[in-house]
Amino acid sequence: MTVRTAPEPVVVDELITETADRLFGELCTHEAVQAAEEAGGAPDIWDAFCETGFDLIAVPEEAGGSGGTLAEAIEVLRLVGYHSAPIPAAENGILGGWLLAEAGLERPDGLVTVVPPRAAAGDWSGASCSADGTVESGPAETVSGAAGGANCSAHIADDGTAQLRGSALRVPWARSAELIVCVCESDGQPAVIAVPASQCEITPLPNMAGEPRDTVSFDGATGVAAPVPDGVDAEALAQRGALSRVALMAGAIEKMCQLTVSYTNERVQFGRPVARFQAVQQHLVWAAQDAALVRMAAEVAAREATRGEASFEIAAAKLIANQAAARATKACHQAHGAMGMTQEYPLHHFSRRLWSWRKEYGSDAHWAGVLGTMATGVGADGLYPLITSGTSALG
Amino acid sequence: MRFTPTELTGPELDLQAEVREFLAAELPPGTHEPCLGMAADHDREFSAKMAARGWVGMALPSRWGGSDRTAVQRFIVVEEMLRWGAPVGHHWVADRQTGNVILKFGTDEQRERFLPPICRGELGFSIGMSEPDSGSDLASVTTRAERAGDGWVVNGTKIWTSNAHMNDWFICLLRTAPMEDGNKHAGLSQFLIDLRSPGLEISPIPFLDGSHHFNEVTFHDVFVPDANVVGQPGMGWHQNTTEMAYERGGPDRWLSPFSTVEQLLREAAGTQMEGAVSDLFGELAARWWGIRNLSLSVARLIDEGEAPSVESALVKEMGTRYEQEVVEKLVQLIDEEYSPESESLFERLLAQCVVTFPGNTIRGGTIEILRSVASKGLQGLPA
Repeated sequence: MTVRTAPEPVVVDELITETADRLFGELCTHEAVQAAEEAGGAPDIWDAFCETGFDLIAVPEEAGGSGGTLAEAIEVLRLVGYHSAPIPAAENGILGGWLLAEAGLERPDGLVTVVPPRAAAGDWSGASCSADGTVESGPAETVSGAAGGANCSAHIADDGTAQLRGSALRVPWARSAELIVCVCESDGQPAVIAVPASQCEITPLPNMAGEPRDTVSFDGATGVAAPVPDGVDAEALAQRGALSRVALMAGAIEKMCQLTVSYTNERVQFGRPVARFQAVQQHLVWAAQDAALVRMAAEVAAREATRGEASFEIAAAKLIANQAAARATKACHQAHGAMGMTQEYPLHHFSRRLWSWRKEYGSDAHWAGVLGTMATGVGADGLYPLITSGTSALG
Repeated sequence: MRFTPTELTGPELDLQAEVREFLAAELPPGTHEPCLGMAADHDREFSAKMAARGWVGMALPSRWGGSDRTAVQRFIVVEEMLRWGAPVGHHWVADRQTGNVILKFGTDEQRERFLPPICRGELGFSIGMSEPDSGSDLASVTTRAERAGDGWVVNGTKIWTSNAHMNDWFICLLRTAPMEDGNKHAGLSQFLIDLRSPGLEISPIPFLDGSHHFNEVTFHDVFVPDANVVGQPGMGWHQNTTEMAYERGGPDRWLSPFSTVEQLLREAAGTQMEGAVSDLFGELAARWWGIRNLSLSVARLIDEGEAPSVESALVKEMGTRYEQEVVEKLVQLIDEEYSPESESLFERLLAQCVVTFPGNTIRGGTIEILRSVASKGLQGLPA
């Protein structure tokens, strides 16, 4: 009988959890998060975050990053979600920092953000320019900005100079960024384009939590394009982006659940804490289940992504997180009654972020489609091995 | 509350492969009618084959006939058996909980008497908790055992007793002292009772589809010797609560419809699958992956010496509701009308799921009771 070996464990240093938790706990008070929403950002919180080096965790040191594993970066993002820290940690680090490092492009001192790929018919990679994206001239490479619905295109010259036109929607924190990064396909090869934000026209737009998701017009902008290795493409960006959202959502659901347990123990009606009522207990239990489920999904997906290919785990985790966010948000709001509907009480910092993150980097329908292709592809005899072994069962 | 992610070790992966090979040889897909999870057929021969591999009572010490294996190793065997729809009914209760109770609270004489035959897959156990007037309020049971010489005389009635007509032994929660005001958990004791004892009457209660699982068991002056009292008289409630922790949170609480889903995929192979059907397979795979990771982490916690009762209750409450949701999603997608006697195996299984799965959120503690247990745990209160 063959003797199988388990993969090397993926361990997250406890010091990272403790440090990030303490930092955000001190900085991200209810008032500070509220103020960041009104101001469209929180430069002081961002600066304090950068001082820890957590902003570039999992970005290789030779590329100017802090080193560390993807799993450690995901743990920091979980705590960003748990404290509703109003900072673009994912965009600057495991998304933008990763793309620049893969492309060998220099990273600026300031903030980096990323144009999210937009799924078209469930396919992140087969995107071409949209109607607006026809490049005016020449046989040079014609590329889309991000995949799918991004209405931008670029003309890349032989020296790597990229002339852009069109626009990108819902780019996180673009208004505060120094560099805007997108992935594209150039002559059948994946490439990364980095554009100074100063070259773009940026129209502020908030998401449902009041966090910046701006419209970026690239018309007339000049950037730099660089080839990246195979596999660093819109689909890979979509997976990393989805993983980042799952981590944020895991933190937010857990905190929302803790707020709900505390509130229902303090709130007295009919002479006893409302948590004593079975109807309220149902909400507590369902929210706790979803908190546990999404945190588990985030941690297992991060573990597998740290080791390598994790297409099943990430897809499964994002679908689970999307569905759990819907259920848990409803349950926690219901248990809070009218208090949870006020700006004064912090529940909305989490519930509104969850509504936004749920829609980013892949809807329920998108990931169900991806997973459906995997599940039907392995067939009846492969279905349970897919559940137990994940991506490695895809062959 | 914390569910720590875990994964199978090399030797655990070997065990998983060994169980899959065993099942592929014993029950090749397409040659057997899969059972729906733990509501499985009773097949003493199959139980004996599993036992020969050391897979019954496997977490019990070898001193008592077990295999010194872990909760995670048992999890691996159980999940493969259930997802395959294997006939594990005969040894199910003894393997899942009764063996553990006897090991933990029993005397050496009881361990010697019961554990080796349990591990050989020989003994089938029924559970005597509910009574006609005591369901979720279990501590209100009134079936009583009274001292008589070197033993006890039992009178009263237990109800909803699964498979008493096929099993050998009955582990019962009985009242040995009158209920005191303010402490109804006192005065209860656990007994091992031979289901063929004189004065013990087993009457079928037909299940809603006409099948026979449920029974009413009536005691008319049934004598039970002192040697069959488990643990301390009066400590039955505590022991019973411990026993329930073994009952909850395992694969039996979330895998019941798996063989039905797998069969749909088998029957759909080669056909043009609608997008909604394909998406559903994807969603179900994802959700089973998530729940399995939670459930596996509970097994690992048990091996680390923890008593994850809140975690177990959360998983069971979620898992059993999920089982029903799976069936509802299948029903919504399938155009054909189906019958328990359809030609298609998938349709037969689905018909059975539809009719019997309302019981999944009731058996072994209703989800309402589980919510009460879990939410007290979330609030840091004693369950």
